[in-house]
Amino acid sequence: MSIRRTILLGLFVAVAGILHAVEYWVPIPLPVPGLKLGLANIVNLVVIVLFGWRDALVVALLRAVLGGVLSGMFLGPTFVMSASGAMVSTMAMALSYSFFRPKLSLVGISVIGAVVHNLSQLCVAAVVVVSSGILWYSPYLVLIAVPTGIITGFSTAYFLEKFPQTAIL
Amino acid sequence: MRLTLADKWLIGGLLLLAGLGIGWHIVLASRLPGQKAEIYKDGNLVETVPLRNGYRQVIRLGDRDSEYNIVEVQDGKVRIVEADCPDQLCVRMGWASAAPTEIVCLPNKVVVKVVSVQPADIDEITR
Repeated sequence: MSIRRTILLGLFVAVAGILHAVEYWVPIPLPVPGLKLGLANIVNLVVIVLFGWRDALVVALLRAVLGGVLSGMFLGPTFVMSASGAMVSTMAMALSYSFFRPKLSLVGISVIGAVVHNLSQLCVAAVVVVSSGILWYSPYLVLIAVPTGIITGFSTAYFLEKFPQTAIL
Repeated sequence: MRLTLADKWLIGGLLLLAGLGIGWHIVLASRLPGQKAEIYKDGNLVETVPLRNGYRQVIRLGDRDSEYNIVEVQDGKVRIVEADCPDQLCVRMGWASAAPTEIVCLPNKVVVKVVSVQPADIDEITR
């Protein structure tokens, strides 16, 4: 069981790292600092559902490191932003998964994760450049985070539907 | 997979908040025309440039060997024309001319702030 778990978590880290790095190549029409598609949040939510929040936090941190190395931004300000965004949004999703779940579906939890991800990145950005004025971009970030969160939420639900639950036993 | 009622409330509420925030931003921007652009590097004010018609200036931050950003001010608008940051977000943000707007280059820690100076009070002038 534990070897299986290790292998699966390793695979999830690899997938999430790739998604994290690929995000930098996808041009986003709206140039706002901190704006991300949050594709790697799919993996985070899957790990929360299958393995729990502890493993999800580890996967989130490792994928930020891996994605940072792959995109050539390791340890720069962009890395600090994405790593903190990944950790905070994973915590937010884990908390809402354990407290609001029958009421909120995976889509709602994913929307919370996306919004928290973008807002926490913007807060770190404000600290990095020592300027609170860029917080004016937060409503625009929320506006974009809601649809991307819905998309990643449906992707997560679809993945979990197809994923053989026996694989983690 | 179907959305629950709470999902819809959450999505609707967030979109409403975002809409209110954007509306507030637009109202503020229309009331506060930019009069100055303040250019910050690493959190320090490097230069203040007037934003008015007919005024043009190009400012280079950083030299050729280190990280650089080129800021252009023209006819009441300001933008970052060129930079060596990897994401080029600051260049793509384009022109800014209204007050609470900021152009940010995160990798190089550059902020271009559009500032509106409130019309001076009579008291302040006579003082």
